Amino acid sequence: MNIRIFAKRAGLLAAVSTLAFSTACSGGSEAEKAPTEKDEAAGKQEQVAFKDIGSDIRGSEKPTQQQIDEVNGTLNDTYLGDIFDQPIPSDYSAYPVEGDVTLDVWMAAPAEIPDMNKQQVQDQVEKLTGIKVNFITPPVGQEADAFTLMISSGELPDIIIDPGRYPGGLEAGLNDGAFIDLTDLIEKNAPNYNAWRTSDEMRRKTTVTDSGRLLGFYGIAPYSEWMWFGPLIKKEALEKTGLEVPTTIDEWHTFLTKAKEVGYTEPLNYGSSYGQIFTGIINGAYGVWDWTFMDADGKVGWGPAQPKAKEYLATMQQWNKEGLLNRDWATADFNQRMATAISDKTAIMMDSPDTMWSYWKQQNDIDFVGAPNPVLNEGDQPQVSYKNFMRTGSSAAITTQAENVEAAMAFLDFGYSKKGWEVFNYGEYGTVHLIDADGKPYFPADSYIYKDPDGQPVATTLHKYRVHDWPNIRDEHHSNPLIVAEGSYSGDIRKTWTEEMDASVTMPPITFTQEEASREAELGNQLATLRSEYFAKIIMGELPVDAYDKFLQEAQKMGLEEFVALHQAALDRYNQR
Amino acid sequence: MLTLQKNKKTGGSAVSERPRTAAVIKKDVRKNWFPYLLAVPVLIWFIVFCYGPMWGLLIAFKDYKPLLGFSESPWVGMKHFIDFFQGPYFWRVVKNTLLLNLWGIGFGFTAPIILALLLNEVRNKMFKRTVQTITYMPHFISLVVVAGMIHIFTADQGIITQALQWITGKEYSSLLGYSYLFRPLYVFSGIWQSIGWESIIYLAAMGSIDTSLYEAADMDGASRLRKMWHVTLPQITPTIVILFIFAVGGLMASGYEKIILLYNPLTYDTADVIGSYVYRRGLREASLSYSTAVGLFSAVINFGLLWMTNSIARRKSEVSLW
Repeated sequence: MNIRIFAKRAGLLAAVSTLAFSTACSGGSEAEKAPTEKDEAAGKQEQVAFKDIGSDIRGSEKPTQQQIDEVNGTLNDTYLGDIFDQPIPSDYSAYPVEGDVTLDVWMAAPAEIPDMNKQQVQDQVEKLTGIKVNFITPPVGQEADAFTLMISSGELPDIIIDPGRYPGGLEAGLNDGAFIDLTDLIEKNAPNYNAWRTSDEMRRKTTVTDSGRLLGFYGIAPYSEWMWFGPLIKKEALEKTGLEVPTTIDEWHTFLTKAKEVGYTEPLNYGSSYGQIFTGIINGAYGVWDWTFMDADGKVGWGPAQPKAKEYLATMQQWNKEGLLNRDWATADFNQRMATAISDKTAIMMDSPDTMWSYWKQQNDIDFVGAPNPVLNEGDQPQVSYKNFMRTGSSAAITTQAENVEAAMAFLDFGYSKKGWEVFNYGEYGTVHLIDADGKPYFPADSYIYKDPDGQPVATTLHKYRVHDWPNIRDEHHSNPLIVAEGSYSGDIRKTWTEEMDASVTMPPITFTQEEASREAELGNQLATLRSEYFAKIIMGELPVDAYDKFLQEAQKMGLEEFVALHQAALDRYNQR
Repeated sequence: MLTLQKNKKTGGSAVSERPRTAAVIKKDVRKNWFPYLLAVPVLIWFIVFCYGPMWGLLIAFKDYKPLLGFSESPWVGMKHFIDFFQGPYFWRVVKNTLLLNLWGIGFGFTAPIILALLLNEVRNKMFKRTVQTITYMPHFISLVVVAGMIHIFTADQGIITQALQWITGKEYSSLLGYSYLFRPLYVFSGIWQSIGWESIIYLAAMGSIDTSLYEAADMDGASRLRKMWHVTLPQITPTIVILFIFAVGGLMASGYEKIILLYNPLTYDTADVIGSYVYRRGLREASLSYSTAVGLFSAVINFGLLWMTNSIARRKSEVSLW
């Protein structure tokens, strides 16, 4: 046992024994729920003292109906352990909210949920908080248009999930009078969110604006989530070629050539019309990142304008000519891409291991391994331009037309409490999850998640019996069934990637002022069109590699310098937060 | 002052004329009140949905923010127009829009006329109806499904790709990746979608041709081809001209839906039209003013073209909209 954990446990024991003595509650040896500092400081009175049911629930595989009802129907959270570096707050003084409150919540629901108002977890949350919720969900695929229409109509709901859709961002929405400023309200009305976001410096920094204001409830994870996207190689391809997992660009070339020889006619699935030419996987090796990135001196750069771009394009053009890439990489849609992936043509995919675990392993029994992003020289550390800054899931803002701001805040705050962590991530107790001996929820083998009574696959049940994207404390690593399912190695791949690759080039979540935002969008849009067009044509061989010079000229003419300067200014402000 | 004087001068005659016109209208309304009543809903529709929203065009000159409202949003003058004209892709999208629509007129406009002419010659009613039903059907298929079908048929191993390979002897990857094939694919799939539907109006025009004309032609010993050329075609010319005027009036118009379902970075240089450009630039960023400005620009050009074609048609063929 390492020292830190030992110290922590010892501290915990001390806290527990104090609590046991002071309250003299039964089963005190199991209790872990020490009152938080904040509660003591604020002198919160009348926090309902729950009966400690930890000893009954923890480790129980066959809970009684009474126990199930107690866990699902009350706010009692004494059976939940503190499994993260910082304890999750549990202030339930606001619930149940008094009076008859109904909130309208606009939300782009996942396609798997036919009716958000009948979502199991949201129903449970309504009961626990005493707040009724009416979800307004746009048709799948028309979310952006529906959002614009809603804003244009001037009729706003109480809460908007994913308010960053507002043109120009949250701050623009505030200036235009769509959202309210929560800066002075958070501490009083959202004690859990307040405690959670301030319990870590990174969490604090990514949830406040440059001017120090709090505009919304952001999904915040207890940790930075593993990176989710990278090169995946069919195990069979490794066996057939007899080669190791490639690491350098040269090794990749050797591997792909050999793979083609042994029968994979289009060994590298390079991308599709929904845009995966730019993933930072191969281009990253050349430092030609997809978009903006942060160099070693903390300065912003634009990937496509980096010095080795021509080298990258020449290599890709060559690979394409040699038939190492899928022939339809510029036009294939998602279904065509997945059809090629499971066919004998493909040896390497660049995608999410969770997705491919579902498509390759679960549906077609194709085993695969993860590979690190390639590097130019042997021994270099692979790099990646993705890092999760503990900001995950979704976010929410309260509109200026919300009648009961306090209730709206209480409703959202629930996601940042211990009970909320359990309910949103792990769904209902009994049928969906159980609690292990350490007080950590888990999905047992016969959970509805894996064995849905309606026979739906995990990709659907993960939205049906739990909530995947929500402004809350998202516990992806322990509660995403695609990762934790027995036999799934997608989590291991993601973890290895995260640990082995250097993500220091990643831009943090910066924000723009309203004026900047519209200029940034305009320039960004033009540059994106220019980049997609030139890069695709050069790689396809329709333009020579030297056409890159013209591309760079045009990009500069469009205002590349101004674009980078806007990002630099925003980054500087972020660093000042 | 000037208009006042003018009114005074011509006042006499106007007064003497006005009661007569008014009386005529009054009499006509009393006599044909039912057709007038039928026209009322259409008039209301036009006022509410076409003329009413026109004052909304003003937002093209403002920085419109829905929540600030129409009157509170700040004026920005010609900013959005200048943005559009000076954009790096202005000439390209204008050129692509015009070319795509010219292709549309060249092939898409003539195809239903030819189909109607051919169908008109068919004597077997069963056959004629079968052909009509089959050619109408694509009209009722949702655009997204049509685009999906095009994607499948032109994919790497799709049947259209294979047919093209067989005909030309060259090897093709997915056809949607070649910018020089975008216009043919777009226009010919468009013909497939609409040929049956658009031929209806011509068939209707042909149905009303006086049969004595054909009898006279028969007496003169005209062949079927001659009758088609000298009787049918001249008789439906007014219909063709009217529809042609409309088609030219839509040269700068561009729907973006089908484009954005079919294009990709490889085909931007022929496929990116005003509509798709505005979609990416305007609608995604919810920049309503910008979209309105571009829409207004297109509409003005379209109106100019419509007026021009109409006056040419009036002079040359005595058929025109006004």
